[in-house]
Amino acid sequence: MVIIFLISAPLLAAILSLFVRRNSLLLEVFTITAAAIELVTGLVIAYSVHHKGSYSFTSYFSVDALGIILVMIIAVIGFVASWYSISYVREEAKEDIIGFSRVKQYYIFLNLFLFAMLSAVVTTSPIIMWVSIEGTTLSTAFLVSFYNKPEAIDAAWKYLIINSVGLLLGFFGTLLFFSPTIGVSDHHGMIHWQTILSNASTFNPFVAKTAFIFVLIGYGTKMGLVPMHTWLPDAHSNAPVPISSLLSGVLLSVAFYAILHFKVIVDSSVGTEFSQTLLIVFGSASVLIASFFILIQKDYKRLFAYSSIEHMGIMALGFGFGGIGAFAAILHMIYHSLAKPILFFSAGNIFLKYHSKEIANVRGTLSVLPITSITLLIGFLTITGVPPFGIFITKLYLLTAGIKEHPVVTAIVLFSFALVFAGFLRHVVSMIFGRNGESIPKGELNTGTILPSIVLVSILIILGFYLPSSIKLLIETAVSNY
Amino acid sequence: MFLASSQFLYFMEIMIFVSVIFMHMCKKNTSAVFLYMFQSSMLTLLLIIISIKEASLPFAMVTVFTFIIKVIIAPVFFLNLVKRHKFKFAVSTYLNMPMTLLTLTVLLTITHYKFLKPLVSLAPSKENLLLLSFATILASIFLIINRRGALSQMVGILSLENGIVSFASLAGLEENPGLQIGITFNLLVWVIIATVFVSMIYRKFGTLNVTTMKDLKE
Repeated sequence: MVIIFLISAPLLAAILSLFVRRNSLLLEVFTITAAAIELVTGLVIAYSVHHKGSYSFTSYFSVDALGIILVMIIAVIGFVASWYSISYVREEAKEDIIGFSRVKQYYIFLNLFLFAMLSAVVTTSPIIMWVSIEGTTLSTAFLVSFYNKPEAIDAAWKYLIINSVGLLLGFFGTLLFFSPTIGVSDHHGMIHWQTILSNASTFNPFVAKTAFIFVLIGYGTKMGLVPMHTWLPDAHSNAPVPISSLLSGVLLSVAFYAILHFKVIVDSSVGTEFSQTLLIVFGSASVLIASFFILIQKDYKRLFAYSSIEHMGIMALGFGFGGIGAFAAILHMIYHSLAKPILFFSAGNIFLKYHSKEIANVRGTLSVLPITSITLLIGFLTITGVPPFGIFITKLYLLTAGIKEHPVVTAIVLFSFALVFAGFLRHVVSMIFGRNGESIPKGELNTGTILPSIVLVSILIILGFYLPSSIKLLIETAVSNY
Repeated sequence: MFLASSQFLYFMEIMIFVSVIFMHMCKKNTSAVFLYMFQSSMLTLLLIIISIKEASLPFAMVTVFTFIIKVIIAPVFFLNLVKRHKFKFAVSTYLNMPMTLLTLTVLLTITHYKFLKPLVSLAPSKENLLLLSFATILASIFLIINRRGALSQMVGILSLENGIVSFASLAGLEENPGLQIGITFNLLVWVIIATVFVSMIYRKFGTLNVTTMKDLKE
């Protein structure tokens, strides 16, 4: 029953926000209350999954170990992004960048976006998952074009078209996955993940492989895997900062979760080699291509967007390598989800001060925005995998998993990691420590724009040194399931 | 009896495929919209026949809903858009007509190559129908890639969806009717949002040619 509260909270907040007239505070209250409910209900479900292995409500909702990790990522980042949104949107409204109707639109779509992501994760139906992930595209398209600038509209159109085509191909793949279940469905005529999995042995191998290719291309587009990634840097860099943090830190992982569901089915039909090879190919291409773009980047929001492509590649590689690589991939998913919002929130604070997204125009943030600069620095060290932060460990596990069976790929990936570090170091150091020629007023905007980052930094540092046994157990269970 | 015959099903599948070929050839936005309307009508007829064969009332309701969305509402949205902004022509393509037709021929040949034969194991009695549906899917993807007009791209996406639905229906890869209505409703939301974006593009750039949108950095 608690799952109903989990998914209906953001939906209700969106519906209630529709009726708000000229009262931004009410919009903020609805959003933050819904986010708090998601967080609490997520924790209740996590407790249940930790003790029973999974949580189910009717035949329509079920959350397993990986599912609850995703639910908690959505709930935690959703809460922090909602919290940050309040200060960020207020600042933008204060500077007349946006008016009340835009503010209202923002909160409605933010809640719909969270609702769609939660629905995608907790459903037992592949079709509802598809509809929900398509829902994330539809709810965020207007957020990508939020500032109504030509480049934002351009980015939103690209986002809408590429993702729609990708997801339609994913839909086709999903329908092909139904072929072993022809004539088998529950009394409501609904096909569940479990129904497909239990009939996977009757799956025609050719159809299974074709279906997985379509699914990988389809959801891989949403996940930002190379070469289907072209929409991502544009969309992530044009959306408002809290939305970018959700798109980057959460949505990409949700799309990967969809791929993993299908991977289990195709693995039990044709063996693990087929899906693992594909994941290694797409994963290594994503890491390599993203690393070059990171090196030559001129826009700091695009820099963080390309970093997301790299990290999605790492996750795909983890499951491609298998074993400890899969463990690393899930742990990486958690660390990346926590680290990416820190970078985007820092980007938001910098933008509100410098009014530019160009790296060359941002210099000396340490003196202008001291706390933001520290969070940016920690975010950079985390995301590039510098010890003692958690991503160092996950990258190490990944390389360990790959070195024996795939030495060439591992070498390429290691080279890419070095490029990413060099690129980030160059850009971030120039932004933080560079000489500031302009007279930009010093001081943080307000506590609301820095506290969310500080909270995330604290969680990251704690998780970097101490991984609670409950989280470790959930990851191990998830690895054995997927 | 005649309606349920395989020749009639084949005829309709050909019509669905031919309409996407004409979408490639048409020079006016309104023609593309009418072709989509025609294609959707054929798809609805196909679904009606399947629902009669299965004697399924929920499936018949899905068909009615599909008809309302795809044959009436979506085309009305598009035609209003064309009328409001007076954008009649959508001739701009990346490949010229001979190359476009040649590519379509190659795509059709690929679908009938023996490599894809195992795909028809889903419904061996409908081999040609399934392959033609698959060709519709490929031709629709090519339409989206080859056209520069935003409206043509939208029509291409909807045609791709029609191709997938026809393939799934013929192969018996159906879902719960409630979910099918959900998918069609999702399509309606997509049409509304995409229409709003097309208007925004036109207002901002003064054209629907997506190659004029060069504000992005890479």
